[in-house]
Amino acid sequence: MIINSLGKRCPQPIIDIARALAANVEISEFELLSDDPATWPDLQAWARMTGHRVEQKESPRYLIWR
Amino acid sequence: MGSVTGFQAETPLHAKAREVLLAAFDQGWADPRKIHQASRKAAILRDEAREKFGELLQLAPDSIHFLGEAALGFHLGLTGLLARSHTLFLPAISRQEVFATRQSHEYVDGKAVELASDLKGSVLDLVAGEAEDVLAWQAVNGETGIRLAEPEGFAGRIFLDATSSTSPENGEWDAGLWESGTWAGPRGIGVFALRSPTKWRNPLPHLDSRVVPGDASLPLILTSAVALEHWRAEQEERNKKVRALNEKIRHFVTQEIGDVDIAGTMESAFTGEPAKLSFSFLYIDAERLVSELDRRGFAVDSGSACTSLEMKPSHVLAAMGLLTQGNIRLTLKMEHDERYVDSFLAALKEVVSEQR
Repeated sequence: MIINSLGKRCPQPIIDIARALAANVEISEFELLSDDPATWPDLQAWARMTGHRVEQKESPRYLIWR
Repeated sequence: MGSVTGFQAETPLHAKAREVLLAAFDQGWADPRKIHQASRKAAILRDEAREKFGELLQLAPDSIHFLGEAALGFHLGLTGLLARSHTLFLPAISRQEVFATRQSHEYVDGKAVELASDLKGSVLDLVAGEAEDVLAWQAVNGETGIRLAEPEGFAGRIFLDATSSTSPENGEWDAGLWESGTWAGPRGIGVFALRSPTKWRNPLPHLDSRVVPGDASLPLILTSAVALEHWRAEQEERNKKVRALNEKIRHFVTQEIGDVDIAGTMESAFTGEPAKLSFSFLYIDAERLVSELDRRGFAVDSGSACTSLEMKPSHVLAAMGLLTQGNIRLTLKMEHDERYVDSFLAALKEVVSEQR
């Protein structure tokens, strides 16, 4: 599932992820599109705090899985 | 909330320093380098201030040079120690002024190595370097309050950023910088100490042997010495009080609010220096958080991107792997009592839950 947060500033991309995860509990892998410079540090911190794993792909893609 | 000055980093002039401010201007107005009576008096006062700073910061008085703009000390210290052909090592959690020096150094083909940090704020992968390499070290991190362990095994020259410290720094270093606002002295006055003048070359255009350009305001230097003396005298009482508040806030935001990332632990981040406490809430817009808290009478700082002019998150939080969104940074002060902190925490909980 793709979460499109392009053009959105922090904290919106992380909020978008949380909403997508809550609404799609059966899906275990997500792709985030974000061009906000705070996304990568915040995504890593979010993953550490919530027990997820993340990977930075070529800009602006990020992979998220449980 | 009445007379309390809030949690922002800045603090009003120490009351005892305020008491002597006018007298300092009355006594210390003349140019201490001239030979008139008033100038000789000013020179005596300047030397006494140097002795006082030497005693309080455990520095040799003749190594101390006062700056009228503390931030200039980063350039003086780092560029003065660093030759173009040598490497600058800098922790990723350094202040912006260190990064500015790095940029200038790289512009003339100098080499710089950025040192990563971990979640605890420890600096990783420090190598020995060569004898003329320079390490830009930090005594206390100004954003998180974390005190860095002394660098071990570095073979080169060390510039110590002590601008968030109010204490003597007795480790190995060659040039060091303190900032008067940190101990509730007049902001902007810098105490620059040069322990190893033979390793240093003045990087500024200069005509004589003076280390710093021009004269910092002598009355403000005198006032700063009074502020530091009183700050240090109150240190034990302040530490006890502020430590309890620090612990209380950490406990509250973890237990009562949740989804929060706090920088450091009580052990690493409570140093007794101006007590900083930095934490970030998930799913929170820091700009709205800061504005809402301000509207309710609580001034706080923030390292989040949306509160910075450049719209970039705090490089310190990012380098440590901490959450940068929804960040607030508190500076706990002597006048903050339990009642004030309780009101703040209630407001914080309310604002965060409204946003979530």
